[in-house]
Amino acid sequence: MNPAVLICDDSNMARKQVLRSLPEQWHNNVQTAQHGAEALTILRSGNIDILFLDLTMPGIDGVGVLQGIQKLNIDCHVFVISADIQPEMQSKVLGLGAKEFLRKPIKPDVLHANLEKHGLL
Amino acid sequence: MNQLRLTEDEQDCLQELINVAMGQASDQLARYLDSFVYLKVPSIESVDADSLATTLDQQQSAMAVVSQGFFGYEGIRGEALLVYQDEDSERLADLLGYEPDELSKDEQLIDISSILTTTFLNVFASQIENQISYSAPKLLPSRANSLSEHLDQLTFNWDLALKVNINYQVTDYSFNCNMVLLIPETAINNIKVVLNRILEEL
Amino acid sequence: MNPGVLTDEISKKFAEKLSSKITDQLNTGILIVDTEFNIVMWNSYLQVHSTKVSNDIIGKNIFDIFSELPQRWLSRKLASVLQLGTPNFCSWEQRRHLFELPHTRPITTDCEFMAQNCTFLPMQDDGDIEHICILIEDATDVCHYQGQLQKALDKLALMSRIDGLTQIYNRKHWQESLEQEFAKARRHEKALSLIMFDLDNFKHLNDHYGHQGGDEVLIEISKTIGSLLRVEDVFGRYGGEEFAIVLPETPIKGALELAERICQTVEKSTITFKDKDINVTVSLGVAQLSESDTSFETLIMHADDALYLAKNNGRNQVCSAKTTEFLQQASA
Repeated sequence: MNPAVLICDDSNMARKQVLRSLPEQWHNNVQTAQHGAEALTILRSGNIDILFLDLTMPGIDGVGVLQGIQKLNIDCHVFVISADIQPEMQSKVLGLGAKEFLRKPIKPDVLHANLEKHGLL
Repeated sequence: MNQLRLTEDEQDCLQELINVAMGQASDQLARYLDSFVYLKVPSIESVDADSLATTLDQQQSAMAVVSQGFFGYEGIRGEALLVYQDEDSERLADLLGYEPDELSKDEQLIDISSILTTTFLNVFASQIENQISYSAPKLLPSRANSLSEHLDQLTFNWDLALKVNINYQVTDYSFNCNMVLLIPETAINNIKVVLNRILEEL
Repeated sequence: MNPGVLTDEISKKFAEKLSSKITDQLNTGILIVDTEFNIVMWNSYLQVHSTKVSNDIIGKNIFDIFSELPQRWLSRKLASVLQLGTPNFCSWEQRRHLFELPHTRPITTDCEFMAQNCTFLPMQDDGDIEHICILIEDATDVCHYQGQLQKALDKLALMSRIDGLTQIYNRKHWQESLEQEFAKARRHEKALSLIMFDLDNFKHLNDHYGHQGGDEVLIEISKTIGSLLRVEDVFGRYGGEEFAIVLPETPIKGALELAERICQTVEKSTITFKDKDINVTVSLGVAQLSESDTSFETLIMHADDALYLAKNNGRNQVCSAKTTEFLQQASA
């Protein structure tokens, strides 16, 4: 059974980069969101197993989404994929329940290794 | 002129490359300056030749401008301008880790500009598998209309300018500057080729 | 070994030999240091110009060999190259030189050492930056010509403000100064006075002694009056034989005293031209900026009116503008 995936990023290219890095067979169960509010709506309504989350987005940003997930008690694995890679930001999002902090641009082998690490692949 | 405009996909791709470059550059900067650099997402505007001077003029209260040329493979080249308001240049020596009497204010501005430009463009270049060289940075003479004079006297006719608003906050104080990348027509077409190659690979 | 490999080897060796030759013939100094700033390599150019010997410097610390280098500052600069992997620069415009090297124009220039543009380049080996390449370019010529140009520009700037004959300010610059002083006086609510004066019967003087005589009088009078003024007073030639003095932060009383002194000094002084003594007098009009003056031109107008009054009253005297009177006359 392939997991249900949500990719949240305001950049179309960044979303494609993540999608391309996922195993082929997952592709038919992937949804996308362009900002935090859209992501939270999808997260609330469906059973999303894995969320790939950008941090800097207009409106509700990645940190806002992580806070929403905690508040709403949503059970899903969050992988933050960010351009802002300073240690302070990393510890902040990990503190908010993200499984991993991955730097942009995302590379397939890095993504696979991290999925494996959490038993998702 | 219209074919110089970036398509929505190209614009998105470029914005993403710049975001990543800016993120990595500020991480490197934070390590070098040994302090936390708080980075707001740089806002990027493309400005055409006619309106750049007006855009910058609006904020032209006693400003300093440092210019530095860059050139890479595949005809990617241009000139980076770093535009500072006067109050932004206070305490730069401190930030850069120099003693204030070791260097003049001009030298401080040139130094921080060169560091911002080269760290940013180096990361940008590595993302598109390119390598960029730089000319020595120069402080434009501090006259009221030196920027527009400089724009008139550039070695190439530039057709598009990318204005990246950078706002760095470094621990207890912040400094703001605008980075403007002036790019000639041929280089825009070369950048478009690179962007489309990246987009096609996806 | 197949012939292709052999050719590759030969051409590689040849290229290496060639590039080392080029390095040694470049008109640019090349100095390579490691991460501890110990000297790893240099080229002939530096060897020739620094009059140091290779054996003495290779492996030594750059700050021991070139003790003139500002160690703290340069270490920080080099650290940025190592840490950020980006080039750094130092221009003669900010620092005339880093290395104390002689230059090739010792006679025609006034600087002691070669003016330099220095570039610090990161040298990457397998991802890590192990060395820094320092390029030193001679900028003495540029520096020299830039200096000459700046001198010429300064001279031009001065010339554009000065009246060629009398060497006091010309009308254009004088008027710009009045405009500034007018704005300053308004902003800070300070007094501002103006003296306008001209030489009495200058036409007769020209007819009698010739234009050269007239010129001599203008030159000497300007000198004499100039010596009576404070540094902040702005003395200019308004036109022909007419002059004007802007007196910042001076009320009418002080301006009148000065005008009187000018009047008497000129009357008492004698100008010698071609062994003949020339005596001249001046008529002066004085005005102070008043609340009702809307522009600096109004102030000129009042001083000019007072000058006209002095002329009409028989010359060789000072008259003051009765601002309120003029206003009343105008409204009547």
